[in-house]
Amino acid sequence: MIEYEENPDGINRAEIVVGIPSFNEASSIGYPTKQAGEGLVKFFGNKLSVIINCDNCSTDNTKDAFLETPTPVPKIYISTPPGVHGKGINFRNLFYKACELKAEAIIVVDADLKSITPQWIQRLGEPLLRDFDYVIPLYVRHKYDGTITNNIAYPLTRALYGRRVRQPIGGEFGFSGKLSETFLKDGFWDESVSHFGIDIWMTTIAINKAASICQSFMDRPKIHRTKDPGLQLGPMFREVTGTIFSLMITFADIWKEVRWSKPTAIFGFGLGEVERPPSVTIDEENLFKKFMKGFNSCKETWPTIIDENNYGKLLEIRDIDYNHFDFPTHLWARILFDFAIAFKNRPSDRTLILDALIPLYLAKTLCFVKKSRRMSIRQVEEFIENECMVFEETKPYLLQRW
Amino acid sequence: MAKILIVDDEEHIRLLYSEELLEEGYEVCVTDTGYELIDRIEREKPDLVILDIKLPEYSGLDLLQDIRNKFYNLPVILSTAYDVFKEDLKSVAADYYVTKSFDLTELKKRIAMALETKTP
Repeated sequence: MIEYEENPDGINRAEIVVGIPSFNEASSIGYPTKQAGEGLVKFFGNKLSVIINCDNCSTDNTKDAFLETPTPVPKIYISTPPGVHGKGINFRNLFYKACELKAEAIIVVDADLKSITPQWIQRLGEPLLRDFDYVIPLYVRHKYDGTITNNIAYPLTRALYGRRVRQPIGGEFGFSGKLSETFLKDGFWDESVSHFGIDIWMTTIAINKAASICQSFMDRPKIHRTKDPGLQLGPMFREVTGTIFSLMITFADIWKEVRWSKPTAIFGFGLGEVERPPSVTIDEENLFKKFMKGFNSCKETWPTIIDENNYGKLLEIRDIDYNHFDFPTHLWARILFDFAIAFKNRPSDRTLILDALIPLYLAKTLCFVKKSRRMSIRQVEEFIENECMVFEETKPYLLQRW
Repeated sequence: MAKILIVDDEEHIRLLYSEELLEEGYEVCVTDTGYELIDRIEREKPDLVILDIKLPEYSGLDLLQDIRNKFYNLPVILSTAYDVFKEDLKSVAADYYVTKSFDLTELKKRIAMALETKTP
Protein backbone atom coordinates (compact mmCIF):
# COMPACT_ATOMS: atom_id res chain seq x y z
CA MET A 1 0.00 0.00 0.00
CA ILE A 2 2.47 2.65 -1.21
CA GLU A 3 0.42 5.84 -1.28
CA TYR A 4 3.27 8.25 -1.83
CA GLU A 5 6.76 7.98 -3.27
CA GLU A 6 9.56 10.50 -3.65
CA ASN A 7 12.44 9.22 -5.78
CA PRO A 8 14.59 12.28 -6.46
CA ASP A 9 17.19 10.37 -8.53
CA GLY A 10 14.65 8.34 -10.52
CA ILE A 11 16.11 5.03 -9.32
CA ASN A 12 14.51 2.02 -11.03
CA ARG A 13 17.10 -0.71 -10.37
CA ALA A 14 19.16 -1.57 -7.28
CA GLU A 15 21.20 -4.61 -6.32
CA ILE A 16 21.33 -3.76 -2.62
CA VAL A 17 18.63 -1.94 -0.69
CA VAL A 18 18.81 -0.63 2.87
CA GLY A 19 15.31 -0.12 4.28
CA ILE A 20 14.58 2.04 7.30
CA PRO A 21 10.99 1.72 8.59
CA SER A 22 9.73 4.70 10.55
CA PHE A 23 6.90 6.61 12.15
CA ASN A 24 7.73 10.04 13.55
CA GLU A 25 11.47 9.49 13.74
CA ALA A 26 12.64 12.89 12.46
CA SER A 27 15.03 13.36 15.36
CA SER A 28 16.74 9.99 14.98
CA ILE A 29 16.54 8.80 11.36
CA GLY A 30 19.49 10.87 10.13
CA TYR A 31 22.05 8.80 12.01
CA PRO A 32 21.22 5.32 10.68
CA THR A 33 20.73 6.82 7.21
CA LYS A 34 24.23 8.31 7.24
CA GLN A 35 25.81 5.11 8.56
CA ALA A 36 23.95 3.03 5.98
CA GLY A 37 25.20 5.27 3.16
CA GLU A 38 28.80 4.98 4.35
CA GLY A 39 28.49 1.21 4.73
CA LEU A 40 27.05 0.76 1.25
CA VAL A 41 29.89 2.72 -0.36
CA LYS A 42 32.65 1.20 1.75
CA PHE A 43 31.63 -2.45 1.48
CA PHE A 44 29.43 -2.64 -1.61
CA GLY A 45 30.86 0.17 -3.72
CA ASN A 46 30.64 -1.94 -6.88
CA LYS A 47 26.91 -2.59 -6.47
CA LEU A 48 23.95 -0.41 -7.37
CA SER A 49 22.48 0.58 -4.03
CA VAL A 50 19.74 2.72 -2.57
CA ILE A 51 18.41 3.62 0.88
CA ILE A 52 14.63 3.51 1.27
CA ASN A 53 12.72 5.11 4.11
CA CYS A 54 9.42 3.21 4.50
CA ASP A 55 7.33 5.61 6.49
CA ASN A 56 3.82 5.81 7.95
CA CYS A 57 3.17 9.35 6.70
CA SER A 58 4.89 10.84 9.76
CA THR A 59 3.74 14.26 10.85
CA ASP A 60 7.08 15.33 12.33
CA ASN A 61 8.94 15.80 9.03
CA THR A 62 10.65 12.41 9.04
CA LYS A 63 10.58 12.59 5.23
CA ASP A 64 12.64 15.79 5.08
CA ALA A 65 15.00 14.62 7.83
CA PHE A 66 15.66 11.48 5.78
CA LEU A 67 15.93 13.03 2.31
CA GLU A 68 18.08 15.93 3.54
CA THR A 69 20.64 13.67 5.25
CA PRO A 70 23.69 13.79 2.97
CA THR A 71 24.58 10.30 1.70
CA PRO A 72 26.87 9.06 -1.08
CA VAL A 73 24.09 6.78 -2.41
CA PRO A 74 20.61 7.71 -3.69
CA LYS A 75 17.53 7.64 -1.47
CA ILE A 76 13.84 6.90 -1.97
CA TYR A 77 11.04 7.86 0.39
CA ILE A 78 7.84 5.79 0.37
CA SER A 79 4.83 6.08 2.63
CA THR A 80 1.50 4.57 3.56
CA PRO A 81 -1.60 6.81 3.33
CA PRO A 82 -2.20 9.18 6.27
CA GLY A 83 -3.60 7.31 9.26
CA VAL A 84 -2.34 3.89 8.15
CA HIS A 85 0.27 2.85 10.69
CA GLY A 86 2.28 -0.31 11.33
CA LYS A 87 5.86 -1.50 11.13
CA GLY A 88 4.69 -4.57 9.22
CA ILE A 89 2.93 -2.45 6.62
CA ASN A 90 6.17 -0.54 6.13
CA PHE A 91 8.01 -3.82 5.64
CA ARG A 92 5.42 -4.98 3.14
CA ASN A 93 5.97 -1.80 1.16
CA LEU A 94 9.69 -2.49 1.34
CA PHE A 95 9.22 -6.07 0.05
CA TYR A 96 7.17 -4.65 -2.81
CA LYS A 97 9.66 -1.91 -3.68
CA ALA A 98 12.65 -4.29 -3.39
CA CYS A 99 10.99 -6.70 -5.83
CA GLU A 100 10.21 -3.81 -8.19
CA LEU A 101 13.88 -2.74 -8.09
CA LYS A 102 14.94 -6.41 -8.58
CA ALA A 103 17.14 -6.18 -5.49
CA GLU A 104 19.37 -9.16 -4.64
CA ALA A 105 19.93 -8.17 -1.03
CA ILE A 106 17.79 -6.16 1.36
CA ILE A 107 19.03 -4.90 4.72
CA VAL A 108 16.71 -3.40 7.32
CA VAL A 109 17.77 -1.26 10.27
CA ASP A 110 15.62 0.48 12.87
CA ALA A 111 15.26 4.26 12.67
CA ASP A 112 16.04 4.70 16.38
CA LEU A 113 19.38 2.84 16.26
CA LYS A 114 22.11 4.79 17.96
CA SER A 115 24.94 2.26 17.75
CA ILE A 116 24.88 1.29 14.07
CA THR A 117 28.20 1.55 12.24
CA PRO A 118 28.93 1.13 8.51
CA GLN A 119 30.16 -2.37 9.37
CA TRP A 120 26.62 -3.40 10.36
CA ILE A 121 25.65 -2.96 6.72
CA GLN A 122 28.52 -5.24 5.69
CA ARG A 123 27.69 -7.84 8.35
CA LEU A 124 23.99 -7.93 7.45
CA GLY A 125 24.55 -7.75 3.69
CA GLU A 126 27.60 -9.84 2.89
CA PRO A 127 26.13 -13.25 3.84
CA LEU A 128 23.32 -12.56 1.36
CA LEU A 129 25.90 -12.43 -1.41
CA ARG A 130 27.28 -15.77 -0.16
CA ASP A 131 24.11 -17.81 -0.61
CA PHE A 132 22.42 -17.07 2.71
CA ASP A 133 18.77 -15.96 2.45
CA TYR A 134 18.17 -14.54 5.90
CA VAL A 135 20.59 -12.78 8.23
CA ILE A 136 19.90 -11.85 11.80
CA PRO A 137 22.21 -9.92 14.08
CA LEU A 138 24.13 -11.31 17.01
CA TYR A 139 24.98 -8.48 19.34
CA VAL A 140 25.32 -7.67 22.98
CA ARG A 141 22.26 -6.15 24.63
CA HIS A 142 21.76 -5.06 28.18
CA LYS A 143 20.35 -7.96 30.19
CA TYR A 144 17.08 -6.12 30.77
CA ASP A 145 16.72 -4.97 27.15
CA GLY A 146 14.64 -7.36 25.05
CA THR A 147 12.61 -9.10 27.75
CA ILE A 148 10.02 -10.35 25.22
CA THR A 149 12.91 -11.83 23.25
CA ASN A 150 14.52 -13.45 26.29
CA ASN A 151 11.37 -14.81 27.95
CA ILE A 152 9.11 -15.62 24.98
CA ALA A 153 10.37 -15.19 21.42
CA TYR A 154 13.77 -16.88 21.70
CA PRO A 155 12.83 -19.86 23.90
CA LEU A 156 9.60 -20.54 22.01
CA THR A 157 11.14 -20.25 18.54
CA ARG A 158 13.97 -22.51 19.61
CA ALA A 159 11.78 -25.15 21.25
CA LEU A 160 9.20 -25.14 18.47
CA TYR A 161 11.28 -24.99 15.33
CA GLY A 162 14.62 -26.30 16.60
CA ARG A 163 16.68 -23.32 15.49
CA ARG A 164 18.80 -21.30 17.90
CA VAL A 165 18.18 -17.81 16.61
CA ARG A 166 19.19 -15.57 19.50
CA GLN A 167 17.60 -12.32 18.28
CA PRO A 168 14.50 -13.41 16.33
CA ILE A 169 12.93 -9.97 16.77
CA GLY A 170 16.10 -7.91 16.84
CA GLY A 171 14.86 -5.20 14.49
CA GLU A 172 17.82 -5.49 12.10
CA PHE A 173 17.71 -8.05 9.33
CA GLY A 174 19.11 -8.98 5.97
CA PHE A 175 17.16 -11.02 3.43
CA SER A 176 17.57 -12.03 -0.18
CA GLY A 177 15.43 -10.75 -3.02
CA LYS A 178 14.11 -14.30 -3.38
CA LEU A 179 12.96 -14.38 0.26
CA SER A 180 11.45 -10.92 -0.15
CA GLU A 181 9.23 -12.37 -2.90
CA THR A 182 8.25 -15.24 -0.59
CA PHE A 183 7.35 -12.75 2.14
CA LEU A 184 5.26 -10.77 -0.31
CA LYS A 185 3.40 -13.77 -1.69
CA ASP A 186 2.94 -15.56 1.61
CA GLY A 187 -0.64 -15.87 2.74
CA PHE A 188 -0.05 -16.07 6.49
CA TRP A 189 -0.55 -12.35 7.05
CA ASP A 190 -2.85 -10.88 9.68
CA GLU A 191 -3.38 -7.67 11.61
CA SER A 192 -0.63 -8.42 14.18
CA VAL A 193 1.91 -8.91 11.39
CA SER A 194 1.03 -5.47 10.07
CA HIS A 195 2.44 -4.04 13.27
CA PHE A 196 5.14 -5.32 15.64
CA GLY A 197 4.51 -8.98 14.77
CA ILE A 198 6.47 -8.53 11.54
CA ASP A 199 9.92 -9.40 12.96
CA ILE A 200 8.94 -12.76 14.41
CA TRP A 201 6.78 -13.42 11.35
CA MET A 202 9.77 -13.04 9.01
CA THR A 203 12.02 -15.18 11.19
CA THR A 204 9.41 -17.93 11.52
CA ILE A 205 8.61 -17.93 7.80
CA ALA A 206 12.33 -18.04 6.97
CA ILE A 207 12.86 -21.05 9.26
CA ASN A 208 9.83 -22.93 8.03
CA LYS A 209 10.47 -22.24 4.36
CA ALA A 210 13.93 -23.77 4.92
CA ALA A 211 15.71 -20.57 3.94
CA SER A 212 19.43 -20.65 4.68
CA ILE A 213 19.83 -18.58 7.82
CA CYS A 214 22.84 -17.11 9.53
CA GLN A 215 23.51 -14.98 12.57
CA SER A 216 26.00 -12.21 12.03
CA PHE A 217 28.18 -10.65 14.73
CA MET A 218 27.73 -6.90 15.01
CA ASP A 219 30.71 -4.87 16.19
CA ARG A 220 28.80 -2.82 18.78
CA PRO A 221 25.99 -3.51 21.27
CA LYS A 222 22.45 -2.63 20.26
CA ILE A 223 21.75 0.84 21.61
CA HIS A 224 18.28 2.18 20.94
CA ARG A 225 15.22 3.57 22.73
CA THR A 226 14.65 0.99 25.45
CA LYS A 227 11.44 0.43 27.40
CA ASP A 228 10.52 -0.70 30.91
CA PRO A 229 8.20 -3.67 30.20
CA GLY A 230 6.02 -2.87 33.22
CA LEU A 231 5.45 0.71 32.13
CA GLN A 232 5.53 0.69 28.32
CA LEU A 233 4.47 -2.74 27.17
CA GLY A 234 1.87 -1.38 24.79
CA PRO A 235 0.53 -3.35 21.84
CA MET A 236 3.95 -4.80 21.06
CA PHE A 237 3.48 -7.69 23.49
CA ARG A 238 0.11 -8.70 22.03
CA GLU A 239 1.33 -8.40 18.45
CA VAL A 240 4.54 -10.38 18.91
CA THR A 241 3.02 -13.09 21.09
CA GLY A 242 -0.17 -13.25 18.99
CA THR A 243 1.93 -13.75 15.85
CA ILE A 244 3.95 -16.54 17.48
CA PHE A 245 0.75 -18.33 18.58
CA SER A 246 -0.89 -17.78 15.23
CA LEU A 247 2.09 -19.22 13.33
CA MET A 248 2.12 -22.20 15.71
CA ILE A 249 -1.26 -23.13 14.22
CA THR A 250 0.01 -22.65 10.66
CA PHE A 251 3.19 -24.65 11.14
CA ALA A 252 1.96 -27.28 13.61
CA ASP A 253 2.83 -30.15 11.26
CA ILE A 254 6.42 -28.95 11.14
CA TRP A 255 7.11 -28.18 14.80
CA LYS A 256 5.51 -31.40 15.98
CA GLU A 257 8.31 -33.28 14.22
CA VAL A 258 11.11 -31.12 15.64
CA ARG A 259 13.20 -32.51 18.46
CA TRP A 260 15.79 -30.49 20.40
CA SER A 261 17.62 -27.70 18.55
CA LYS A 262 20.62 -26.89 16.38
CA PRO A 263 22.92 -23.87 16.39
CA THR A 264 22.47 -21.48 13.48
CA ALA A 265 25.36 -20.66 11.13
CA ILE A 266 27.46 -17.70 12.18
CA PHE A 267 29.08 -15.03 10.02
CA GLY A 268 31.90 -12.71 11.06
CA PHE A 269 33.20 -14.80 13.92
CA GLY A 270 34.03 -12.97 17.12
CA LEU A 271 33.11 -9.68 18.65
CA GLY A 272 36.59 -8.55 19.72
CA GLU A 273 36.51 -6.08 22.57
CA VAL A 274 32.88 -5.86 23.70
CA GLU A 275 31.50 -2.44 24.54
CA ARG A 276 29.06 -2.39 27.43
CA PRO A 277 25.51 -1.43 26.44
CA PRO A 278 23.86 1.35 28.46
CA SER A 279 21.90 0.12 31.45
CA VAL A 280 18.13 -0.34 31.39
CA THR A 281 16.09 0.40 34.49
CA ILE A 282 13.10 -1.73 35.43
CA ASP A 283 10.60 -0.90 38.18
CA GLU A 284 10.49 -4.29 39.89
CA GLU A 285 7.81 -3.45 42.43
CA ASN A 286 5.54 -2.32 39.62
CA LEU A 287 5.98 -5.70 37.92
CA PHE A 288 5.05 -7.44 41.17
CA LYS A 289 1.99 -5.23 41.71
CA LYS A 290 0.74 -5.86 38.18
CA PHE A 291 1.19 -9.62 38.62
CA MET A 292 -0.76 -9.60 41.89
CA LYS A 293 -3.51 -7.49 40.31
CA GLY A 294 -3.83 -10.22 37.68
CA PHE A 295 -5.28 -12.56 40.32
CA ASN A 296 -8.26 -10.21 40.47
CA SER A 297 -8.56 -9.01 36.90
CA CYS A 298 -8.03 -12.51 35.43
CA LYS A 299 -9.65 -14.61 38.14
CA GLU A 300 -12.28 -15.84 35.70
CA THR A 301 -10.04 -16.10 32.63
CA TRP A 302 -6.95 -17.86 33.97
CA PRO A 303 -8.71 -21.05 35.14
CA THR A 304 -10.24 -21.44 31.67
CA ILE A 305 -6.84 -21.21 29.99
CA ILE A 306 -4.32 -22.65 32.41
CA ASP A 307 -4.20 -26.38 33.16
CA GLU A 308 -5.47 -27.18 36.67
CA ASN A 309 -2.11 -28.36 38.02
CA ASN A 310 -0.31 -25.34 36.61
CA TYR A 311 -2.95 -23.03 38.04
CA GLY A 312 -2.46 -24.64 41.44
CA LYS A 313 1.28 -23.88 41.19
CA LEU A 314 0.47 -20.31 40.23
CA LEU A 315 -1.61 -19.90 43.36
CA GLU A 316 1.38 -21.14 45.37
CA ILE A 317 3.54 -18.44 43.76
CA ARG A 318 0.96 -15.81 44.77
CA ASP A 319 1.58 -16.70 48.38
CA ILE A 320 5.36 -16.21 48.19
CA ASP A 321 6.44 -12.83 49.56
CA TYR A 322 8.11 -10.29 47.29
CA ASN A 323 11.64 -10.86 48.61
CA HIS A 324 11.52 -14.58 47.87
CA PHE A 325 9.51 -14.29 44.67
CA ASP A 326 10.19 -16.99 42.08
CA PHE A 327 8.50 -18.16 38.89
CA PRO A 328 10.05 -21.51 37.87
CA THR A 329 10.88 -21.73 34.19
CA HIS A 330 9.25 -25.14 33.69
CA LEU A 331 5.98 -23.67 35.00
CA TRP A 332 6.35 -20.59 32.78
CA ALA A 333 6.93 -22.85 29.75
CA ARG A 334 3.87 -24.96 30.56
CA ILE A 335 1.68 -21.90 31.11
CA LEU A 336 2.87 -20.34 27.86
CA PHE A 337 1.99 -23.59 26.08
CA ASP A 338 -1.46 -23.53 27.80
CA PHE A 339 -2.03 -20.04 26.39
CA ALA A 340 -0.94 -21.11 22.90
CA ILE A 341 -3.43 -23.99 23.04
CA ALA A 342 -6.26 -21.70 24.24
CA PHE A 343 -5.36 -19.25 21.45
CA LYS A 344 -5.80 -22.07 18.92
CA ASN A 345 -8.99 -23.47 20.44
CA ARG A 346 -10.84 -20.21 21.15
CA PRO A 347 -10.41 -17.95 18.09
CA SER A 348 -13.02 -15.46 19.24
CA ASP A 349 -11.23 -14.88 22.59
CA ARG A 350 -7.75 -14.19 21.27
CA THR A 351 -7.44 -10.60 22.49
CA LEU A 352 -8.71 -11.61 25.93
CA ILE A 353 -6.23 -14.51 26.04
CA LEU A 354 -3.25 -12.35 25.09
CA ASP A 355 -4.25 -9.68 27.64
CA ALA A 356 -4.55 -12.34 30.35
CA LEU A 357 -0.96 -13.43 29.63
CA ILE A 358 0.48 -9.97 30.39
CA PRO A 359 0.50 -10.19 34.24
CA LEU A 360 2.18 -13.59 34.01
CA TYR A 361 4.79 -12.31 31.57
CA LEU A 362 5.50 -9.43 33.93
CA ALA A 363 5.92 -11.93 36.78
CA LYS A 364 8.36 -13.99 34.71
CA THR A 365 10.23 -10.79 33.84
CA LEU A 366 10.43 -9.91 37.55
CA CYS A 367 11.85 -13.34 38.29
CA PHE A 368 14.39 -12.94 35.48
CA VAL A 369 15.45 -9.52 36.78
CA LYS A 370 15.82 -10.79 40.34
CA LYS A 371 17.83 -13.87 39.36
CA SER A 372 20.11 -12.07 36.94
CA ARG A 373 20.76 -9.00 39.09
CA ARG A 374 24.36 -9.92 39.91
CA MET A 375 25.11 -11.67 36.62
CA SER A 376 27.40 -10.37 33.91
CA ILE A 377 26.02 -10.13 30.37
CA ARG A 378 27.67 -13.45 29.47
CA GLN A 379 26.38 -15.16 32.61
CA VAL A 380 22.90 -14.01 31.65
CA GLU A 381 23.41 -15.56 28.21
CA GLU A 382 24.22 -18.88 29.86
CA PHE A 383 21.20 -18.50 32.13
CA ILE A 384 18.94 -17.91 29.11
CA GLU A 385 20.45 -20.94 27.36
CA ASN A 386 19.49 -23.05 30.38
CA GLU A 387 15.98 -21.61 30.32
CA CYS A 388 15.70 -22.56 26.65
CA MET A 389 16.71 -26.11 27.50
CA VAL A 390 13.81 -26.22 29.98
CA PHE A 391 11.47 -25.15 27.16
CA GLU A 392 12.84 -27.91 24.91
CA GLU A 393 12.43 -30.47 27.70
CA THR A 394 8.86 -29.28 28.33
CA LYS A 395 7.82 -29.62 24.68
CA PRO A 396 6.29 -33.11 25.14
CA TYR A 397 3.68 -31.40 27.38
CA LEU A 398 2.70 -29.18 24.44
CA LEU A 399 2.61 -32.12 22.04
CA GLN A 400 0.36 -34.02 24.39
CA ARG A 401 -2.11 -31.16 24.92
CA TRP A 402 -2.15 -29.56 21.42
CA MET B 1 25.52 -47.28 16.36
CA ALA B 2 26.82 -43.75 15.97
CA LYS B 3 30.52 -43.02 15.55
CA ILE B 4 32.07 -40.41 17.82
CA LEU B 5 35.39 -38.64 17.25
CA ILE B 6 37.10 -37.48 20.45
CA VAL B 7 39.59 -34.64 20.03
CA ASP B 8 41.51 -34.08 23.26
CA ASP B 9 45.20 -33.73 24.12
CA GLU B 10 44.83 -35.27 27.62
CA GLU B 11 45.35 -39.00 27.46
CA HIS B 12 43.29 -39.80 30.57
CA ILE B 13 40.30 -37.91 29.13
CA ARG B 14 40.57 -39.76 25.82
CA LEU B 15 40.71 -43.05 27.71
CA LEU B 16 37.85 -42.18 30.06
CA TYR B 17 35.57 -40.94 27.28
CA SER B 18 36.47 -43.86 25.00
CA GLU B 19 35.82 -46.54 27.60
CA GLU B 20 32.51 -45.10 28.75
CA LEU B 21 31.22 -44.37 25.28
CA LEU B 22 32.25 -47.80 23.99
CA GLU B 23 30.32 -49.25 26.91
CA GLU B 24 27.30 -47.25 25.77
CA GLY B 25 27.63 -48.95 22.42
CA TYR B 26 29.09 -46.08 20.41
CA GLU B 27 31.90 -46.56 17.94
CA VAL B 28 34.80 -44.35 19.01
CA CYS B 29 37.85 -42.85 17.33
CA VAL B 30 40.33 -40.50 18.98
CA THR B 31 42.95 -37.90 18.17
CA ASP B 32 45.16 -35.78 20.43
CA THR B 33 45.55 -32.86 18.05
CA GLY B 34 43.64 -30.41 15.93
CA TYR B 35 46.20 -30.91 13.15
CA GLU B 36 44.45 -31.82 9.91
CA LEU B 37 41.21 -32.29 11.81
CA ILE B 38 39.06 -31.54 8.77
CA ASP B 39 40.87 -34.26 6.76
CA ARG B 40 40.41 -36.63 9.67
CA ILE B 41 36.67 -35.90 9.78
CA GLU B 42 36.45 -36.45 6.04
CA ARG B 43 38.21 -39.79 6.43
CA GLU B 44 36.51 -41.09 9.56
CA LYS B 45 33.03 -39.67 8.83
CA PRO B 46 31.98 -39.42 12.50
CA ASP B 47 28.36 -38.75 13.46
CA LEU B 48 29.48 -36.44 16.27
CA VAL B 49 32.67 -34.72 17.45
CA ILE B 50 33.66 -34.06 21.06
CA LEU B 51 36.12 -31.18 20.82
CA ASP B 52 38.47 -29.95 23.52
CA ILE B 53 38.79 -26.15 23.47
CA LYS B 54 42.39 -25.91 24.66
CA LEU B 55 44.59 -27.97 22.38
CA PRO B 56 48.34 -27.48 21.91
CA GLU B 57 48.82 -24.99 19.06
CA TYR B 58 45.08 -25.00 18.25
CA SER B 59 42.02 -23.27 19.58
CA GLY B 60 39.01 -25.55 19.70
CA LEU B 61 36.84 -22.52 19.02
CA ASP B 62 38.67 -21.83 15.76
CA LEU B 63 38.50 -25.51 14.84
CA LEU B 64 34.77 -25.37 15.54
CA GLN B 65 34.48 -22.59 12.97
CA ASP B 66 36.38 -24.71 10.42
CA ILE B 67 34.08 -27.67 11.10
CA ARG B 68 30.99 -25.49 10.75
CA ASN B 69 32.24 -24.09 7.44
CA LYS B 70 32.87 -27.55 6.01
CA PHE B 71 30.32 -29.83 7.72
CA TYR B 72 27.55 -27.57 8.88
CA ASN B 73 25.24 -30.30 10.18
CA LEU B 74 27.85 -32.34 12.05
CA PRO B 75 27.03 -32.14 15.78
CA VAL B 76 29.90 -30.78 17.85
CA ILE B 77 30.09 -30.84 21.64
CA LEU B 78 32.71 -28.55 23.16
CA SER B 79 34.39 -30.11 26.14
CA THR B 80 36.69 -28.14 28.41
CA ALA B 81 38.01 -27.88 31.92
CA TYR B 82 37.62 -24.09 31.74
CA ASP B 83 34.08 -22.82 32.09
CA VAL B 84 35.28 -19.35 31.14
CA PHE B 85 35.30 -20.25 27.43
CA LYS B 86 31.52 -20.25 27.57
CA GLU B 87 31.88 -16.48 27.74
CA ASP B 88 33.33 -16.42 24.24
CA LEU B 89 30.44 -15.91 21.84
CA LYS B 90 32.18 -18.19 19.34
CA SER B 91 31.05 -21.10 21.50
CA VAL B 92 27.41 -20.58 20.42
CA ALA B 93 28.29 -22.37 17.19
CA ALA B 94 28.58 -25.63 19.16
CA ASP B 95 25.60 -27.91 19.68
CA TYR B 96 26.44 -28.20 23.36
CA TYR B 97 29.12 -27.19 25.80
CA VAL B 98 30.14 -29.45 28.68
CA THR B 99 32.64 -28.95 31.45
CA LYS B 100 35.03 -31.90 31.86
CA SER B 101 34.18 -34.17 34.74
CA PHE B 102 34.73 -37.78 35.76
CA ASP B 103 30.96 -38.14 35.89
CA LEU B 104 29.95 -38.39 32.24
CA THR B 105 26.17 -38.23 32.83
CA GLU B 106 25.91 -34.73 31.35
CA LEU B 107 28.13 -35.57 28.37
CA LYS B 108 26.16 -38.74 27.59
CA LYS B 109 22.88 -36.84 27.82
CA ARG B 110 24.14 -34.18 25.40
CA ILE B 111 25.45 -36.80 22.98
CA ALA B 112 22.06 -38.52 22.92
CA MET B 113 20.28 -35.19 22.38
CA ALA B 114 22.65 -34.08 19.61
CA LEU B 115 22.19 -37.38 17.79
CA GLU B 116 18.38 -37.29 18.19
CA THR B 117 17.97 -33.69 16.99
CA LYS B 118 15.46 -33.20 14.17
CA THR B 119 14.93 -29.72 12.71
CA PRO B 120 13.29 -28.35 9.53
